[in-house]
Amino acid sequence: MITLIGGEMLAWSDLDGSHGPAPASGDALRSIISQAFGRTLVVGPHAQSLIPASPDVTVLVRGNADVDAYPGVTVLCGSLEKLAASPAYDTIVALDGLGRLHSAEAAPYSWDETLAQLLALLAPDGRLLLGFENLFGVHRLTALPAAPADADWVVADDHDPARPAGHARWLSRLTDAGLTVTADYAAYPSLTSPTVLLARAARTEPAIAGALEAAVAAAVRPDSDSLTDPARLATAAVRHGLTAELAPAWFAVATREAAATREAAAQGARATHDAAATEEAGAIHEAAGATREAAGATREAAVRGAEAPEAVIGSQVVRIADLPRGRTLQDHLLTAAQRRDLPEMRDLLTAWQSGAAAGVPAAHVIVSAPVGDQPRPAELIPHAPGGDALVGDQPGPAELIPRAPGGDALVALRAFATEAITAGYAHLWPIQADEAELTAVLAGMTGRELEPSEVPPAPPRPAHAVGDLLADRDRLTRELSEAKAKHEWYESMLRGREAELKRVRQMNALLSATVPGKAATSLVGGLRAGKRAVRKMVRRGR
Amino acid sequence: MHHANHYYGHSHVLARYCGLDDADPPRIQGYLQHGWNIGDGMAPDHEYVPGVAKFVWSERVRRRAWSLGRREVYVTGAPWAYLVAMTPDPGARREGTIWYPFHGWEGQHIVGDHDSLIAEIRDTETGPVTVCLYWQEFRDKRVRALYERAGFRVISHGYRGGWWKDLDPGFLYRQLAEQRRHSRVASNRLSSAIMYGTLAGCEPAVYGDPMQLEGEKSAFGGQARIVREWPEMHGKQLDLSHARALATAELGADRLLPPAELRRLFQWPSLREDPDFELTGVLTR
Repeated sequence: MITLIGGEMLAWSDLDGSHGPAPASGDALRSIISQAFGRTLVVGPHAQSLIPASPDVTVLVRGNADVDAYPGVTVLCGSLEKLAASPAYDTIVALDGLGRLHSAEAAPYSWDETLAQLLALLAPDGRLLLGFENLFGVHRLTALPAAPADADWVVADDHDPARPAGHARWLSRLTDAGLTVTADYAAYPSLTSPTVLLARAARTEPAIAGALEAAVAAAVRPDSDSLTDPARLATAAVRHGLTAELAPAWFAVATREAAATREAAAQGARATHDAAATEEAGAIHEAAGATREAAGATREAAVRGAEAPEAVIGSQVVRIADLPRGRTLQDHLLTAAQRRDLPEMRDLLTAWQSGAAAGVPAAHVIVSAPVGDQPRPAELIPHAPGGDALVGDQPGPAELIPRAPGGDALVALRAFATEAITAGYAHLWPIQADEAELTAVLAGMTGRELEPSEVPPAPPRPAHAVGDLLADRDRLTRELSEAKAKHEWYESMLRGREAELKRVRQMNALLSATVPGKAATSLVGGLRAGKRAVRKMVRRGR
Repeated sequence: MHHANHYYGHSHVLARYCGLDDADPPRIQGYLQHGWNIGDGMAPDHEYVPGVAKFVWSERVRRRAWSLGRREVYVTGAPWAYLVAMTPDPGARREGTIWYPFHGWEGQHIVGDHDSLIAEIRDTETGPVTVCLYWQEFRDKRVRALYERAGFRVISHGYRGGWWKDLDPGFLYRQLAEQRRHSRVASNRLSSAIMYGTLAGCEPAVYGDPMQLEGEKSAFGGQARIVREWPEMHGKQLDLSHARALATAELGADRLLPPAELRRLFQWPSLREDPDFELTGVLTR
């Protein structure tokens, strides 16, 4: 059934991606959608595959071209502010965020006002599934200036105080609005099609940092030109404990509270919010959030048995306990590089390239850390299915655990060489910072004989980073001036050798003119004549 | 790249380690440190081309060189360390002391009292003493006679060569063979020979008048800094385990490169380019 509620946009589709970003989509979001219950309203562009398979689902779209995209579902077409407030919905799904809910006909509403409009549609004890683009996320920090799209008649701006800036403030704002956040996720690589979702418990567990870095690096693939490699920035964010703060998007599963508990929570949130700038406040907020989360979760369980996942990696729901402990091999290698610990680098490279994980890029291999001990590279053993497991908390040998499918070992080695050059470690090796040449040296560090010409060609790059291009330019300028200096040195050496050759020839001529010299010359001449004569005779004799 | 790379047969030893022809080693694309020193590893009187690699013996030297503005510095370890690793100790009986009086190089002359040094050696060493002179002192009959009259055996390991002439690929081999016949190595200055001897299994000692070179300039703090920096390496009896650890670190013996890595860094040909690939490998002597 299709109902026009007013404010609908003509000749407009949010689903085809032609006027702005593509709609919310992907398997990762299903784990959040699964939290929906009862009478459900889906607002904003969502792929058809995300619509809950419940008979009582209504979808609100603003473009008339999108009304046929949801067969078998009640579809409302128009602008959010036109939507009647009753009867209220048990669940509202707004995973695309609040930016695409009003049509061009409507006056601009701030983020706060839009949230209030949504909450007016939500039942007491109803649930909100909300997405939010972080305007300080890695996708924005690395982006080149882009031309505004058709949908950007009003642009979400981080200067707007009505739009929460920062993860902690966003959570506070939800709390202030009378919601209890039962789960919140940092999402990579984007709001509309995340493949990695990390709940607080996953983000704050340092032991799985390697697995998270590998997950984020796999999610954030640069597909257009950027200021700097977004995957490098995203993994650095994880390493620095900023997984949520620099995530491109956040998602929340939030429940409207009963009035009594709401007042108590609001007081706590206000106290927290006042001191939000300090680190301590962040911790207090986390603790308060955890308490509320626990209380909320209990009530949730009573309403509906669904359990929010701890993490989604590669669009698959995973448990923290199942993730390998330890840092990535790339992290270990670059640490050794920074310390100039070349023996450790050789050990790590050799263990990697001689083991089952040889074809897996170093950023996707975890060096498993024995509990209570740092991995000792000399004792690295290649990971093999059915290999020795770590026993209890006894420090044991580290394993190399692949977190991505394997390919050609030399392609993986070349990828690390590329990373070493672009991440600024090329100066470690006194060679021209050429990927093939460095790959050959790295292979040499494992004892493998490899010529640069045997290194597989670089895969075509879908995008370039401006920072890398500038670094390349500076490197090539330096290498050219060094090549010129070397050329001058060779030139002066050549002049020296030529002068010496001239001197030796003159000396030769002088010596040939002396009596012993003449005797020697005639002796050599005689020997040559004899040799010729003998040859002649031999030929005749044949 | 530089003629000094062939001093003492250094490039020859490394070519052998790399499985290449050690009678005619290829050109090393870089400068190779050719003696233990307290500066940036490079000889002060050589000209360096920017962008050309400098191969030094130890991580400590690399750090120092970097701080002094050198770039393209890479720790390869000393050729001596490769030679020791390639040459199994025959386990012959060791006896006495091999003593290296501080020497000058070509054109440099020592100012000091050989007689009092000889007296101190005689007072200290209990076993037979072999004095090893640098070739220019060895050729000086007067200096040689001084030590011979004291009852010492006087030898020289040879001439280090220069400008691609008179190269002596056997220098280090002779030195290693001699040192492995002695139980102690000593000198009046902490020097390459002491590091070498310690790595070769001798107990080191540094004592006696350190003497001076004629017009010696104290580059990088000179002899006084050596004493300040390594006081535990000065004396007639030293802590052996400490000395071994120091010699290992200073000669980079704990971080030798695989041949494949060394060949790539020196830009030497790969073994597969060698027509006698099947026949090459580390030669044994």
